[in-house]
Amino acid sequence: MDLAIRAIVLYAFVFFLTRVVGRRELSSLQPFDLILLIVLGDSIQQGLTQDDYSVTGAIIVVGTIAALQVATSYVSFRIPRLRPALDGLPIVVVEDGKPIQKNLHRERITVNELAQEMRQQQIASLDEVQWAVLETSGAISFIKKPS
Amino acid sequence: MAEPPDAIDLGRDRDLRGRRTDVWVRRTLLALVTLVPVLALFNLFGQRPTTSKAAVPAATLSVYAPTKLRGGLLWEGRIHITAHRELKNAILLLSTGWAEGMSMNTIEPSPTGEASDNGSLEFTLGHIPANKSFILYMQFQVNPTNIGHRSRSTTLYDGSTKLAAVHQKVTIFP
Repeated sequence: MDLAIRAIVLYAFVFFLTRVVGRRELSSLQPFDLILLIVLGDSIQQGLTQDDYSVTGAIIVVGTIAALQVATSYVSFRIPRLRPALDGLPIVVVEDGKPIQKNLHRERITVNELAQEMRQQQIASLDEVQWAVLETSGAISFIKKPS
Repeated sequence: MAEPPDAIDLGRDRDLRGRRTDVWVRRTLLALVTLVPVLALFNLFGQRPTTSKAAVPAATLSVYAPTKLRGGLLWEGRIHITAHRELKNAILLLSTGWAEGMSMNTIEPSPTGEASDNGSLEFTLGHIPANKSFILYMQFQVNPTNIGHRSRSTTLYDGSTKLAAVHQKVTIFP
């Protein structure tokens, strides 16, 4: 029983953490972020299963997490009012080639980071961008101006 | 002005109408998250040991052990007896709070006798000459399901005469 409770508590904490750290931190996967991700996973695993090496224990934990994941997504789907809290909302960061500074500032994104994201999507200049939207996943979508 | 992409509400997603406080809620919650490790630095969640003492003319009993523990933690309890006069037959009585939900890895030096006194652990240590010390080292591990508060008391006897007692409250975090 304690395994399921641990899984529920840690799922809730990780979910809460991903909502409060800011979406940009979650989308960028620099080498350091990758190491951090592994360390995070390892720390959680130790608190989750402790000295339980059994297959039964693993099934309980994985089953609980899977059920919680489906439940969260179902709640988000069924109750639109909860969607902003569970999934977040997109934020427009560029309009008609001009960065919206207050929105960038709010999400701790610099113009250089924006330019880097643009380059990764084969966009050379902000002038080419009609809209840039920071999605709930932390990725930035660019919509080009009609040529 | 170009049409915004589908499902983008300019009032909500560009001008952040109705979302101005969101960022402060997020920052406050993040501050609460960072408060946890800060509190941990101040030993709020263990496992820094503390010393509790009881001194009587015959002996001083000192217990050096953490009072805040976490599931799975390895920890040491050290019981230091300083005899101010000769103790002919020192006996330590440890309440159930010491052993309940704990794996006892080792006790050194091994007591000359072990028994149960109404549920408490009774360790016979034997003779301690005047002005000499006896230190009992005990190594434990917290069982992961052992959560909550426990009362842990340590009582020193010389034969059947109670000399000193140390009472501690232990908190075990999940």
